[in-house]
Amino acid sequence: MNFEAVIGLEIHVELKTKTKMFSDAPINFNDEPNTDVQLLDMAFPGTMPRVNKEAVRFAIRMCNALHMEIDKEIWFDRKNYFYSDLPKGFQITQQFKPIGKEGYLEIEVDGKLKKIEIERLHMEEDTCKQLHFSDYSLLDYNRAGVPLIEIVSKPLMRSGEEARKYVDKIRELVTFANVSDGKMEEGSLRCDVNISLRPYGSDKFGTKVEIKNLNSIANIEKAIDYEIKRQSELLFLGKSIQQETRRYDEAKKETVLMRVKTDAADYKYFVEPNIFPILLTDEFVQDAIDTCPELYDAKLKRFISQYQLEEVDAKILINNEGFADFFEKTCEFSKNFVAISKFLISDVMGYLNKENLPISSFPVDCKYIAEMVDLLKSNEINSSQGKQVFAKLLVENKSPLLIKEELGFTLINDEDAILNIIRRVLNENPTLIDDFKAGKTRVQGFIMGQVMKETKGKVNPGVANKLILQELNK
Amino acid sequence: MHFLDLTIREIHEALLAKKVTVSELVLEALKRAKNNNYNAFETILEEEAIKKAQELDKLEVPADNYLFGIPYVAKDNFSTKDIETTASSNILKGYKPLFNATVIEKLNEKGMVLIGKTTLDELAMGGTGTSGHKGITYNPYDNSHTRLVGGSSCGSAAAVSGAIVPFALGSDTGDSVRKPASFAGLVGFKPTWGRISRWGLFPFAPSLDHVAYFTRSVDDAGLILNCLSGRDEKDFTSSLKPVNNYDLNHTVNLKNIKIGEICGVIDSITDKNVLNDFNNLVEKLNKETKVEKVNFDTKLLESIYPAYVVISCAEATSNNANLDGIKFGPYYDGKTYQDVMMQARTNGFSELIKRRFVIGSYCLMRENQEELFLRAQRVRRLIVDAFNEKLDEYDVLIAPAAPSIASLINNSSDKLSSEYLIADNYLAYANFGGQPSITIPLGFENGMPFGVNLTSKIFNEEELLYIAKEFEKILGFKNLSINNMKGGK
Repeated sequence: MNFEAVIGLEIHVELKTKTKMFSDAPINFNDEPNTDVQLLDMAFPGTMPRVNKEAVRFAIRMCNALHMEIDKEIWFDRKNYFYSDLPKGFQITQQFKPIGKEGYLEIEVDGKLKKIEIERLHMEEDTCKQLHFSDYSLLDYNRAGVPLIEIVSKPLMRSGEEARKYVDKIRELVTFANVSDGKMEEGSLRCDVNISLRPYGSDKFGTKVEIKNLNSIANIEKAIDYEIKRQSELLFLGKSIQQETRRYDEAKKETVLMRVKTDAADYKYFVEPNIFPILLTDEFVQDAIDTCPELYDAKLKRFISQYQLEEVDAKILINNEGFADFFEKTCEFSKNFVAISKFLISDVMGYLNKENLPISSFPVDCKYIAEMVDLLKSNEINSSQGKQVFAKLLVENKSPLLIKEELGFTLINDEDAILNIIRRVLNENPTLIDDFKAGKTRVQGFIMGQVMKETKGKVNPGVANKLILQELNK
Repeated sequence: MHFLDLTIREIHEALLAKKVTVSELVLEALKRAKNNNYNAFETILEEEAIKKAQELDKLEVPADNYLFGIPYVAKDNFSTKDIETTASSNILKGYKPLFNATVIEKLNEKGMVLIGKTTLDELAMGGTGTSGHKGITYNPYDNSHTRLVGGSSCGSAAAVSGAIVPFALGSDTGDSVRKPASFAGLVGFKPTWGRISRWGLFPFAPSLDHVAYFTRSVDDAGLILNCLSGRDEKDFTSSLKPVNNYDLNHTVNLKNIKIGEICGVIDSITDKNVLNDFNNLVEKLNKETKVEKVNFDTKLLESIYPAYVVISCAEATSNNANLDGIKFGPYYDGKTYQDVMMQARTNGFSELIKRRFVIGSYCLMRENQEELFLRAQRVRRLIVDAFNEKLDEYDVLIAPAAPSIASLINNSSDKLSSEYLIADNYLAYANFGGQPSITIPLGFENGMPFGVNLTSKIFNEEELLYIAKEFEKILGFKNLSINNMKGGK
C-alpha cells in the first residue's frame, strides 16, 4: 500500500459511581427508564450542579494509569448546543482545562512495545438515552448526567490492529482500576475513530473521516481496515476524500455515510459559572491513586515474582474475572502456589466452564481448595482419588481431608509393609535385579506397577519409589 | 393605619401582644393584593395563605422569631412547589415546579406566609418592569399610571411600596432590586454573592445573579438576612463563611466610618432634585465624618454597561437553553426535535428576550469570543479591582441609586439603551464584584421617590447595614409606603 493511515481515537468511558456527575440521582443500569432522575437531570429552572467527588477520584486514577499530568485545579465549562437528548441545552465538560494531559499507554505490536501518546482526559456528563420510532422518539433521563471521562489519543495509530489494541488496553485499565464496566456492547465504553490517509513520508494530514457508533472492539479494527481500503481506492482513482461522519454496518461489513460535515460546530464554550474552581489537595490526589486497585501489568509482574507462576498461567488467572482474587485468597492457606494455579486453571475452571458459572458462584471455599492441592501435592492421595475427592468437595464444601477419610482413601505409608510387597515381587521375578543393573530402566516402573496392583493403588507412590530404588541398588 | 403598614419588627411586637392575628394580617394583605391596580401579581395565593395563617394562629407566637406570621411575596422567578412559576414568560406558562427554592423553604420554616408571586420583566431580563407577559407593572406612587416602578423585580417593588406586604423577595443581576427600590422609595438590599443560596432562583446570568429583596426599613433587611444567609449544600457557590448576626440591636458611630462618594456617577447626573438631596445628605454626614470624593476613570465607569450587556446576555443564552418545550412549559408538536424547540421558543419568548439571546450568542461565537466575551470579562476584572481597591480604603461608597425619579412609561425602552450611560447603569459594578449593596430612600420629587445606594466590601453586610441604618436616621425616611408617605408631597 502506498498510503499511511493516521488514526486518532476519542473514547468515552461511563464511570460506575453511585450517583451522577452533578446530581444525587443514583445510577443503576437495570432500573426502569426515567426512575433515576433528579431535578437537575431534567434541567428544571433554578437547579444547580454539584461535583461528584468519586467521579473526580476515578478520573485521577485513570490519569495516573495513563501516566498523565494531573491538573489539581478543577474547572468546568459549558458546551452549548441544542439537541433533544441534552436537557440543559448545554453539557458541562472540561474544555479549557482537562484534569489530565500528556500521557501515554503501551501496546504490543509485532512483539514490540509501541507507545501511544494521549493528548487529554477530561470529565463530563452523559446525555439522555434516545429511542427512535417511526413517528415518535422516547427519552430516558436515567443516563442524563452519568459521569463520563473522555480520553483523546494523539493521531499516532497506523492500523486497525493498533487501534483495537489501544482500545483493549483502555478497557483493561478502566476495568482493573474499577472505574467502569468498560463494556462496548452496553455503551459504557464508546469509541469514535478519526482517520485520514496520506502518502508515506508526507507530514501533512489528509481529509479526516469520523467513524461513530462502533459497538465492539473487533468492529473497530474491521471498520478501520475497511475505511483504509475505501479511502486508498478513492485516492488511487484520483478522487478526493470527503470530510464526513460514517458508521460501521456489521451486516455489510463496511462503513456507511451518516452525514457530510460542513464547518465544525461552534459550541460557544465558556466557564461554568455555577461551579467554583476546585483546588484538589495533594492528599486527595494521592489517596485516589493509592486506593486504585492493582492494574493488569502490575498484577502480572507481581504474580510472576511473588508466586513464581509461569507467565501464561498468571495471564489466565488475571484475564478471567475473579480468578486472580480467588487464587490469592487460596494462597493464604497453602504455599503450593504453582500447584494452586494449575489446579484452578484445569479443575476449577473446567468445572465452571462445564456448569457455565462465574467464579463468584463457585461452591467451594478457598481454604478447602488449598487443602485439596496440598493433599495431591504431598501424594497423600493419587490423582484418581483426587478426582473423586474433588467431586464430593463440590457438593459438600467441607474439608477434603475429611472426605478422603470418608472415602477410605488412605495411602499406605508404612515402609515395612511396602518393603514386604517389593521383596515379594523381586522374589517372584528373579531376573529383575540383573535387568536393572544391565541398564533396563523400565524395571523400576514394572515393580511400581506390581506394587500398585497388589495394593489397589493405595501405596504412597513417593515412598514406594524411594524403597524400590533402595532395593534395586542393594 | 393597619398593623400591616408597620415594619416587620413592629408587626412582630403586635403579634406578640396579641393586638393582631396572623389571619388578620394575611386577609388584609390578600385584600390589598386583589385590589392592587399596579399589575404586581402573577399569582395570588389566597387559599394557601389563609390556610397557613390559620395554622400559625393555633401556635404561640415565638418571641425570638420576628418573621413568624408575616405575609410576604416572591418574585415569580423563585421556584415554588406546586405553584405556577412563569418568570413572567409565556414559555413557562403552566409550569408548576416540583421543588421550593432554598430561600422560599427557609422563609416558610420561619412561619412567613407567601401570599403571592409577583411580576417581573420577562425572565428577569430588563430594567423597566414593562416586558413581562402580563404587561406593564405600574409605580404605586403614581395614580395616573404613567410612570414605571422599574425592574426587573417590578411586582415585588410595587407590592412593598404599594403597602401590600412589608417584605418581598427579588433578584438582582444588574440592579434589578436596587434600582426599583430607588423608584419605589424602598430599602432594596443585595447581600454578597454567595451569602444567600441561589438554589431555585431561575438563572439569568449566574455569575451576576443575586437573591435580593425589598423591605421598608434597614432594620427589617437585617432580620430577613438572618433567615436567608448561610451555606446551602445544593448551591455549590454558596459561601462557607460563617454568617453574622444581622439583628441590628446596637448602633455605629459614623465618626469611625470612612465614606466615599463616587464622583463619576454624581457628575453625570443632571436632575437638580436628586443632586440637591444627595448634597444635603453629604452635608449632614460631613457633620459627623468626612465624606471624601472618590474618582474612577470615566472610561471604566462607562464600560460597566457594555461589559454587563455582553456577559449577562452571553450567560443568559446558555441558562435559558433548557427552555425548549420538551420537558416543561407549553409543548408544540413538530416533525423533528428542531421543530418542537423552534416553535416553543418562537412562541414563548418576546422580541426583547430574543434580542438578548442573539446578542449573547453573537458574543460567544468562536470568531467573536475574544473580542467581545473574553474582553468583557477582562473589563469586569478591571472594574472589580478598581472598586475593591477603594472599598478597602472606604467603609462604604455612596452615590444616587438612579439619575432621576422613575421614568415615564412612554419614554422607556428596554432595548439596552445607553442614555444616562453611567448613572443609570453603574450599580452593576456590585454584581461584577459580588459586593453587598443597599439602596435606601433619599428624597422625593413631585411625589415620586428616589434613593441613594451604599456599597461595601464583600461579606461586610453587617457593617453596611449598621451604616445604612444611620443614613436612614439622618434622612428620616423609614417605613415608607403609599400609606405612609412621610416625605412625599
